[in-house]
Amino acid sequence: MSYLSLENVVKTFNKTEVVKKLSLDIQKGELVSFLGPSGCGKTTTLNMIAGFLEVDGGKIEVDGKPVHLLPPYKREMGMVFQNYALFPHMTVFDNVAYGLKLRKVPKTEISKRVLEALEMVRLDGYEKRYPKELSGGQQQRVSLARALVIKPKVLLLDEPLSNLDAKLRQEMREEIVEIQKQVGITTIFVTHDQEEALAISDRIAVMYEGRIEQVDDPASIYNHPKTDFVSQFIGEVNHIQGKVLETYENKKCKMHFFGNEQIVSVPSVKNSEVHFFIRPEKIQIALAESDESFQTRVERKMFLGAKTRYILKVQDRHLIADISNTVINPTEIKEGNSVYTYWNPEDLLPSRMAR
Amino acid sequence: MSRKLPKYFFNFVCLLVYIFLLAPIVVVLLSSLTTTEYIVFPPEGLTLRWYTELIEHPEFMQSFTLSIIVALGTAIIATAIGTLASLAFVRRQFKGKTAIVQLVGSPLLIPSVVFGVALLQFYSWIGLAASPLALILGHIILTVPFVMRLVVASLVGFDRSIEQAALNLGAGPMKVFFQITLPIIKSGVIAGAIFAFITSFDDLTVALFIVSTDVVTLPVRIYTYMQYQYDPIITSVSSIMILFTVVLMLIIERVLGVGKVFSSKN
Amino acid sequence: MQAGIGTEHDLLLQQKKKNMNKKRLDTWLLLLPTLGIFIFFFLLPLFFLFMTSFKNFDASTGVGNEWTLQNYIKFMSDPFYLGVVWRTVKIALLTTLITIIISYPVAFQISRSKGRARNYLTLLVLSPLLISMVISWVILLSNNGVVNTTLLKMGWIDQPLTLLYTELSVVIGMVHVLFPYMVLSIMGSLEKIDPSVIRASQNLGASSFRTFFSILLPLTLPGVFAGSVMVFSLSVSSFVTPAILGGPQVKVMSYLTYEQVAVMLNWPYGGAIGFLLILIATITIIAYSKILARSEKGVAIQ
Repeated sequence: MSYLSLENVVKTFNKTEVVKKLSLDIQKGELVSFLGPSGCGKTTTLNMIAGFLEVDGGKIEVDGKPVHLLPPYKREMGMVFQNYALFPHMTVFDNVAYGLKLRKVPKTEISKRVLEALEMVRLDGYEKRYPKELSGGQQQRVSLARALVIKPKVLLLDEPLSNLDAKLRQEMREEIVEIQKQVGITTIFVTHDQEEALAISDRIAVMYEGRIEQVDDPASIYNHPKTDFVSQFIGEVNHIQGKVLETYENKKCKMHFFGNEQIVSVPSVKNSEVHFFIRPEKIQIALAESDESFQTRVERKMFLGAKTRYILKVQDRHLIADISNTVINPTEIKEGNSVYTYWNPEDLLPSRMAR
Repeated sequence: MSRKLPKYFFNFVCLLVYIFLLAPIVVVLLSSLTTTEYIVFPPEGLTLRWYTELIEHPEFMQSFTLSIIVALGTAIIATAIGTLASLAFVRRQFKGKTAIVQLVGSPLLIPSVVFGVALLQFYSWIGLAASPLALILGHIILTVPFVMRLVVASLVGFDRSIEQAALNLGAGPMKVFFQITLPIIKSGVIAGAIFAFITSFDDLTVALFIVSTDVVTLPVRIYTYMQYQYDPIITSVSSIMILFTVVLMLIIERVLGVGKVFSSKN
Repeated sequence: MQAGIGTEHDLLLQQKKKNMNKKRLDTWLLLLPTLGIFIFFFLLPLFFLFMTSFKNFDASTGVGNEWTLQNYIKFMSDPFYLGVVWRTVKIALLTTLITIIISYPVAFQISRSKGRARNYLTLLVLSPLLISMVISWVILLSNNGVVNTTLLKMGWIDQPLTLLYTELSVVIGMVHVLFPYMVLSIMGSLEKIDPSVIRASQNLGASSFRTFFSILLPLTLPGVFAGSVMVFSLSVSSFVTPAILGGPQVKVMSYLTYEQVAVMLNWPYGGAIGFLLILIATITIIAYSKILARSEKGVAIQ
């Protein structure tokens, strides 16, 4: 039984559907990211869950009760905004206490719970400050404490880290996950940053043009993308195509790539062209030839710390390969050299492009 | 040295302008202290006699009280309704918006003497006699445009997600307005109220048409007094008005900073 | 099952409609007080006065029963009244010109200053806007006023000059009252200039005068222009200053309006003069926005 469920949710702006019959079930305590490029409908969906936008169709339920007809102030959700949205005229203490005061919580309990919440976000001692006296990271922590202190049913995070600098962003995201697990609160995290989503989510819903393309745990999203959009949006890919030489049972076939033959598990028709994606780190190179490999020329190489990126040319195509420096010492390969390239057929991600 | 010369000349010109601006204030304040029976500057001798004499002119005290009542009423009502209308202007889309914006801004363009005449005619037709209410209604028209300029300016840069945050925490729309929105746009609202107060308090033109023999605002009282008499009483009353306004201006400066008020005004 | 979904969707539609109606109602509730007062105590009175200006004069009631254009014709064909129009415009033009000249250096100085000094200078130039000081000018300019006594004492004149109740006194008072509008307007355009432009000009070896005439002045012209329109139209319609410093000796249109209504009790004629006054002020502003639109287009093309 899911805790938060969206069922065929629709949102229309000026006759264009920006969210198209979107359905999603989220378990209690789960952290789900909405990931997608800008304009994909992720923030719109979040705003419908929070109640800032009306749904134009479908329904939203929390804990088995429909909430999509309730105004935002009756939904019991905690939201953290991209630009913090702290009350500038209130101290940190009053900001965090605001939701509790509205709930008529007794004074002594308010101050106890506010202090606990501030301690949780490591801001104890800052009660009397005003938002403008805090750094961006501190403001976002206050915002998080303010959302959590009312013990909401769902925590909604709208690109909470995008206004912070890179280093702080990484620290904060670890902190958010830690607090989320500690509190055990059902959380939706909206972001356009795939690295962020991969790092913190229990599941990721990749969104594109108002639809959810795929919902899965981060590893499955990365390793087994179900659509071309997901393959290309998450991580980097090389786009390659091959010709089907023979088909076998069990949806296997023999394929021809760059003068090399491989048995690949993909349903196909004989003599057809099949498109694949392969991630740069799944491409391997060797100095010696083998059965599986084909010859490529190193056009450029870029040292990236733990790994090296090789731009390989084969026929009229370019392939990007990221090779760990512990596997191949980059000094052994010079630009212009020939190397032998191969991959494990299981790492090929089939594309629907030609189908 | 020769490069400095234009600069000295420039500063000297500015100084002359500042003297021109300040001279009337200084002259009125100082000449109200004269011991003579007639207005003279520089004052001859120093006395507060013309201020104490004022107490024996109950009509001035009455007018002063009336002006305060009218200015307060105007400031409160104009600020309240102007703030509400500003909210609609900035945040809502509705039919005929441009027309309404122009209507509400037009008192700045209509000569107030024409408005005064029109109002007098209208009041006599509907039978509204000279009263604080009649004055307040006229002054509301004069001051709402100012209030709205200031409040709209403070609403335009308003981050709506702050209100969403409050809604999200469980505050209903009314609570959001009074506990979040209003405190944040406070400076624009207060500035609007003070401008409305001063405009109403200083208004002679419109009041001139609306007053009757027993309902007379201070500027009208001074104006009519001057038609017949010309003694230092005028200077002491004017001084009180000036000091009163200066105090209000210093409040604006202290509470809000003159730069803020002025930048949003422009 | 199908029916269930149907009713749920209906519920949604109902709620949406309710929310939308509520929002529309809210909007009108926000506008209602202001709109109501403006319609009843601004639009309606002006409309009735406009109608009155097309009525004939009746000595017993003020407003007669016949419709006529006579009030407007009378005004336009009488050299005396046309003289008043000319005087009104002349005073406004003079006021505008003098205001520009004395505002420019002050605006420049304030825009260069910082902190406290800036705040107090701003407050000082704003003061005429907030403190009504027309009466002070009476004290300064009257026959036995400050200026005359000083000049007599200095021995520069033998007998007092007639300063009060002249066009000069009206212009002085007008300049004083309207000065803030011009300063604010010029300051606004000065502040928009990127300081590096001025520095660049100086680095290129331009003198201060050259910098001023080739860079600052052209860039601040829109501000000067906007300020001029404001000062001109406020000056044309101003009543208090000409009434106190000019009186019946220096009649301007606003004073005529007042006189016709309050002294002659000729409402229709007073109304007609009032609407001609509105016409002059409006034409100025419309002409201004036309010219502004054209010049902005010119800039865009460049």
